[in-house]
Formats: sequence, structure tokens, C-alpha cells
Amino acid sequence: MAETTGVDRVAPVATVPLIRRFRGQLQLQLMTLPGLLFLILFAYLPMISLIIAFQDFKILMGYFASPWVGLKHFTWALVDPEFYPAFRNTVLLSLYGLVIGFPAPILLALLINEIPRAGFKRVVQTTSYLPHFISYVVTAYLFILLLDRRGIVNDVLLAVGLIDEPVLFWTKAEYWRLMATLVNVWKGMGWSAIIYLAAIASIDEQLYEAAIIDGAGRLRRIWRITLPNITGIIAVLLILNMGGLVRAGLDTSYLLGNLFTRETSYVLEYYTLEMGLELGRYSFATAIGLMQSLLALILVVITNWLSGRISGRSLF
Amino acid sequence: MALARMSQSRDDRVINVVVIALALIVLVVTLYPFYYVILRSLNEGVDSAKGGLFLFPRRPTLTNYRVVLGDPLIGTAFLMTILRTAVGTVAAVFFTAMVAYGLSKKQLVFRKTYSMIGLVTLYFSGGLIPTYLLYRSLGMLNTFWVYIIPGLFTYFHALLFMAFFRELPQSLEDSAKVDGAGDFRIFARIVLPLSGPVLATIALFVGVFHWNDWFASAYFVFNQKLWTVPTILIKTMSSLEAFYRVAAAQSQSIRPGAEMVTSEMLVTMESMKYATIVVTVFPITIAYPFLQRYFVKGLLVGHIKA
Repeated sequence: MAETTGVDRVAPVATVPLIRRFRGQLQLQLMTLPGLLFLILFAYLPMISLIIAFQDFKILMGYFASPWVGLKHFTWALVDPEFYPAFRNTVLLSLYGLVIGFPAPILLALLINEIPRAGFKRVVQTTSYLPHFISYVVTAYLFILLLDRRGIVNDVLLAVGLIDEPVLFWTKAEYWRLMATLVNVWKGMGWSAIIYLAAIASIDEQLYEAAIIDGAGRLRRIWRITLPNITGIIAVLLILNMGGLVRAGLDTSYLLGNLFTRETSYVLEYYTLEMGLELGRYSFATAIGLMQSLLALILVVITNWLSGRISGRSLF
Repeated sequence: MALARMSQSRDDRVINVVVIALALIVLVVTLYPFYYVILRSLNEGVDSAKGGLFLFPRRPTLTNYRVVLGDPLIGTAFLMTILRTAVGTVAAVFFTAMVAYGLSKKQLVFRKTYSMIGLVTLYFSGGLIPTYLLYRSLGMLNTFWVYIIPGLFTYFHALLFMAFFRELPQSLEDSAKVDGAGDFRIFARIVLPLSGPVLATIALFVGVFHWNDWFASAYFVFNQKLWTVPTILIKTMSSLEAFYRVAAAQSQSIRPGAEMVTSEMLVTMESMKYATIVVTVFPITIAYPFLQRYFVKGLLVGHIKA
């Protein structure tokens, strides 16, 4: 899109040797290269040091002197008594997120789109993504406060007579997954709805006008025009989300979970954190993280392939 | 549109009412948690513990704020959070914009290679432990720089900058070049001043990250003086959890005196915590209505690019 500059127009690009061209734009290169160096140091170096998953890494011995142990840490992880519960909790929490959390922003976008007054519509949309900008620490606090012994949820349930005694919801392992999922919906719904709203806004107005002439009511238009026109973006986001089935997010587990809910709130990210940073089992923790990434990649590829076979929509 | 109005049937009006009612519920559910914490922070702690607070404070007080703002640990944490956010945001926005400016130029030699190097980082990363070990070997642990340096450059943000820079009229840059200005000068003097919207968007993203991040402070920094507010909040959260365990244990062996002291301490601590939350959330709620019209656009460009 950018036009070539006057300098380049004098001599056609292909005929000038690469090195001459490079030197001719030295200042531009010097502006760009620090960013590349940064990525190599802070993104690629950690990727390369994932090899410690196959070593018995000791900090004092470093990457080169630490002994190679093959898949030892992977096989140990699979028989570790903490691994299976963490894995199960991760997948279950993500499934809750997929079933409840994934449709929520779609429904919100449909709702916002139907709001008749432009001003009110803007207020609702702007407000709906405020929670995205709030720290998860604060978010966790807000909901623990609401669900606490003297919080409003207990007050209301007591007043209505659904419970006889206050329930400390945030300490109950059996409610934790639902609670965490709803908190995540509260936090992320408005932000995720932005992309769907943009997709809805780009639908051709004539489709609606034709439907009105044909006598289609509001609900019918949502069902027959709005939804079918955003299934493409829904499919793309669903494929991208599938990798998340083996990720639950440290924030949710660490900040909303606690010792009482550990049975359901302890996920792989927390497991990695405890094994790695708290116990210093670097190789073991790296092996768990690596397994998680590989599983995520496999899930995305499979979903993508399935989606291509079933609906003809795939990402790559 | 006249057509649409003509077809406004009774059904339509019913749907409008339902839609508005649902939207109001969304509004209330989104905002009430904030209101509730403000309410609790403005009410006397011992009184709050009786429950039944919904809309208005029963025993209004500013004590909690006075205590929070006077507390040396929280005060230091606030200063540290402000410093981290200011330095981290300015440095990251300027650095990312500079690199992205170079990458946005079609004639840049090796541009394809550079883009590939960048794109890979959008999808793959080394994860927690390798990152920790890197910071460790760079001597960044337990320093202020562990907040700033890792956030300096994000390829996703560079993509947003690049999309914006490509839309700028090339003629301005060309004429500056004829006048003998170098690329950096053009970037700093011509391109940056024209880039208000994208600068605001990225500054908001980066700034919010720095303001909210708890992890770096909790796991990469051991010096309490360097801790940021979210980390301080976590530390008090776990003491709250500890209290419930103590209380549960105490109700087994009845020692009324001991329990009174603990619960009063807890009440004070809790109310302080709510005041801290309010002070933490305040700057974001102030800044974001002004910036939100920019970032919606920025986010969408990013989605299309990525």
C-alpha cells in the first residue's frame, strides 16, 4: 500500500544489490533491529530453553552441563498424583467456559444490536467492556465480597428463604467451577462482543429491508439474517478457542481459588507454578507446560480439520 | 427506514421492551459489584459485618480511606504502581512505535523475514519457567526493570501501529526526505504527532496491563518496597483466608476473648481493603471513557491483521 519513496524510484528495486540497499536505509534498519533483537532475546531464547524439559536442569550447571534424561519428566508427570486432578480441573473449567462463556458474548452482541435507542445502546456497550480493564485481583475481590457470609447474595437468598444460614460460596469446591465461569463471563463478555458487533454492523442493510418486505418479524430476522451472517466469525473464534481447552488461566485458579476449593480449582498452570517457582523443579514444570502447549496445538489442528470437513470453514 | 417504521407492530414493541429490560439487567450486573465495594468502603466496618447493606451506607465514614492513604506499605505500593505504569507505558509505546515504523515500510530490506520472526511470537512462547530462568540470568529478578523491560515490545501492538502508519499520507514524509530529514527525524517529528489515536489505544492497553499486573510483582520481586498494589491486595486476601481457618478452628475450642480480637482486626482490615480497591479502580474508570472510541477501532484492525 505504501508508495515507494523518491530514492527508490530512481533505480528499480531489483537491480540494486541487497547490501547497497541495506546501507542506503541504515537509519530505518537501526530503528527496526532493536525490536527484532528484543524478540530473539525475550521470545525465542525462552522457546529454545524449553529443552530443559528433557534435562535434569540445575541452575548452577546451566543449559549445557545439565544431564540429558529424555522423557523422564514427562513419564513422571503422568504418574504424579497431583497431575491428573490438575489436568481434569483444567479441562472441566475450560468446558464450562466453552459451554457458558463462549455463547455469552454472541448473545450480548445480538442483544445490544437490538437496542432501539442509539444513545442507550452506546451506554450499554461502553459499560459492558469496563470489567475487561479491571485487574483480576480486584475482580476476584469484588465477587468474593458479594458472595461472602455478609454479602448481598447471601442477604438476598436469606430474605427470600432459599437458605436458612449464610453459605460461604467462595469456599465451596462444588460451586467453584460455576462461580469462576460466571466471573469470567462478567469480566470478558463485553470485550469479546466487540468483534461480533462489528461483524453484525457489516451485514448488508438491504437483506433486512428485503426481509421486512417479506413480512419477517424481528426474531425471524435475527435468526435468519443476523446469525447466519456471523457464523463465519463464530467458527473462526471457536477454532481458536479449542486450544484453550487445556488452558484454564492462572488468574482464575490462583485468585478466585483457595485452599478450600483446591479440589476443583487447582489447574495445570497453578501446578506448573508450584512445581517450578515454588519447589524449584524447573525441568519437571517445563515438561508440564510443554505438554500443555502440544495438546493445545493438536486440539486446534483437529478442530480446524473437522471444521473444514463439516462446514467448509477452516483457518489454515 | 420509513418502511421499517411502518412495520412497527405490536410484536415489535414487545420485543423492544424485553430488549431494554435485558439491557438494563446487563447494566446493573456489570456496575453493581463496583457500587457495592464503594458502599462497603464508605461504611463503618463493624456495622458492615452485620450485613443488609444494599444501596446506601448506614454509618458513613471516611476512616477507611484515611487509614489506607496513610498506610506506608500501601502508599509505597501506589507510588510504585504509578511509576511502573508511567515508565512502562511511555517506554513501550515509543519503542514499539519506532520498530513498527520501520516494519511498515515496503522498501525495508529483509521485511518478510522480520515479519515471520514477529508472527511466530504471536502463537508460540517459552512459557513460565524458561522466562523466569531468563530474567534470572539477566539479573532482572528483584529489580524495578523486571516490570519494564519484558513489556517493551509486543508484536501484536506493532501490527496495530503498522496498520495505522500505512494509512498516513506518504507525501509529507517524502517532502521531509527531500529536505534532508533522516528516517528517525521523520518518525519523531512528523509521524508520531499524527498518530494520536493509535498511540492512545496502545498506551491504554499497555497502561492497563502495568496497572493491573500482579504476577511479576508477586513472583519476580521479593523486595516488599517494590511491590505493586495488586500484589499487596493478594497478600491481604490470603490473610483473610487464614482468618477463616483460624475462626473455624476456634469455634471448636471456645475462647471468646481471642475470637473478638481477631474478628475486629479482620473487620478493619477488610474495610481498608475495599478502600484500596476503590482507589485502584478509580483511575481506570476515569481514563477509559475518553479512550474507548479509539481502542474499539484498534482492536478490530488487530483482529483482521492477526
